[in-house]
Amino acid sequence: MLSDNPRSTASLGGRPIHAMLVPVPIVCFVGTLITDIVYWRTALMFWADLSAWLLLVGLIVSLFAALAGLIDFCGDRRIRALPSAWIHGLGNATALILSILNACIHTRDAYTSVVPTGLILSALVVVILLMTTWSGWTLVYRHGVGVRPGDRR
Amino acid sequence: MKSVGFSAAAAAVMLALAACGPSPIDPRRQIGADPYLPPIHQYLLPPMHIVKIVGWNGAMPAVAPGLKVQAFAAGLANPRSLYTFPNGDVLVVETGGPPGSSSRPKDLIMNWVEAKTHSSTKPGQRILLFRDTSGSGVPDVKTVFLDHLTSPFGVVLVGNDLYVANTDAVIRYPYATGDTRIIAAGVKLCDLPGGPIDHHWTKSLTASPDGSKLYAGVGSNSNITENGIEAEVGRAAIWEIDRATGAHREYATGLRNPNGLQFEPQTHVLWAVVNERDELGPDMVPDYLTSVRDGAFYGWPYSFYGQHLDPRVQPQRPDLVARAIAPDYALSSHVAPLGLVFYTGTNLPAHYRGGAFVGEHGSWNRSVLNGYKVVYVPFANGRPSGLAEDVVTDFLVDGDKARGRPVGLAIDGAGALLIADDAGNSVWRVSAASP
Repeated sequence: MLSDNPRSTASLGGRPIHAMLVPVPIVCFVGTLITDIVYWRTALMFWADLSAWLLLVGLIVSLFAALAGLIDFCGDRRIRALPSAWIHGLGNATALILSILNACIHTRDAYTSVVPTGLILSALVVVILLMTTWSGWTLVYRHGVGVRPGDRR
Repeated sequence: MKSVGFSAAAAAVMLALAACGPSPIDPRRQIGADPYLPPIHQYLLPPMHIVKIVGWNGAMPAVAPGLKVQAFAAGLANPRSLYTFPNGDVLVVETGGPPGSSSRPKDLIMNWVEAKTHSSTKPGQRILLFRDTSGSGVPDVKTVFLDHLTSPFGVVLVGNDLYVANTDAVIRYPYATGDTRIIAAGVKLCDLPGGPIDHHWTKSLTASPDGSKLYAGVGSNSNITENGIEAEVGRAAIWEIDRATGAHREYATGLRNPNGLQFEPQTHVLWAVVNERDELGPDMVPDYLTSVRDGAFYGWPYSFYGQHLDPRVQPQRPDLVARAIAPDYALSSHVAPLGLVFYTGTNLPAHYRGGAFVGEHGSWNRSVLNGYKVVYVPFANGRPSGLAEDVVTDFLVDGDKARGRPVGLAIDGAGALLIADDAGNSVWRVSAASP
């Protein structure tokens, strides 16, 4: 049977690409907060360096995740009609911009590459991601966005 | 999610913002004993002003009135330092640093910029000897004096012992007057801090007037401790090395990248030129020329020009900062002084006698370029006594392209000033216009 759920346009074998990619930046940006905190407490450069790499990988993958998400958003009017979709999209876009800014701050040398601006931005991004992840779950588990019940016989 | 376009626009705006920052001031405000120090500015993105190396193509540097310039040697492979033997033979050190390390994404970009602002010629790792048998000032004999070295820089002769400062060790070779090459294997006198990270790799070298001690400049292993404080052991210091035993101690510390070690001829006090820290603004922190006092601490990394704290260094060391002293003479910011020589000859006009020439390699991180010239600092009674003046210029063309970049300096047997030009792969000779 064919479902009436909002469809994912950017999909691979019926699986939404956005959902495949988002775990990477989420883990990277949460990781950045953790390594920033450890650097702040230890002043060991290894942790600040790790933050810079996590930010870079998180940003690269999040650009593709954002693109897939945008295609889904534009691809189905029913998605655009959901307030959660707007919260999710705008929130994640904000997190992305702040993370680009954060990567710039992390190019500074030594302590001020993290404390205080980098650390604040890392924390802010994680707070936003908590909200946008919640709204993402709302889209999938409440509204069934991209969910296709499949050919259960 | 329609905001991808918006975020791209925001990123573009941010990049534009990052390029901004304070406007550079007139460098003359930062020359002398008491430089103006503007508030520090921390950038969003590292400031970079890539200077294209275009070569000389037949052009020559410009010199101050009363002087003339000739090409002493050309077609070299990254000549960076010079040394004149008592018989007038001139050593030219062709050298290049070890590959840069990459501990974070920024390093990949910085290494690329660094490569861009240097000559594309693969640096030699050897020392050439030049001899002028005709008395024309331009050499007619050229030999490979020493080959297969490890990023050599400093050279000094004491009696019949020739010392070469590789980036990782001081090596002693036997030398007899008139030798045009050294075949004997060197003997290591003393290890110096080298790799695996070897950020400031040029080890300047000189000997005390009585010949009993050597002094080696050991630059820091980072801009401002971003490779970890543990990477800075023995660095940002001038080492005093006992010539008999090879034992060393840190003669002075807190000198970020000291080069051009020279004893002032009148007072026999050690002087050096020092490259100060980057990324605190176009006019921070001024590079300097200073006498080097035994046991003194000059601030790096914790502070600069005395007790001005650097916020990028944690944990701070108030105990060290409390005794940090300010250097003698600022040369203005990011000029990258790498060469120093006191003029003791008689060929140049009397105006230049007794003072110091400084080779300024030039900035790579200032929107208006600074340096790229050789300046003269007048001295009286062993102290700088006036404003630095331009002596050899026109290393820049069209404001943002470089024909060459001056590095090490020496005085040749006839009393002319020699300038190693690494980006221009030349050595220039500056002498009196009329004999």
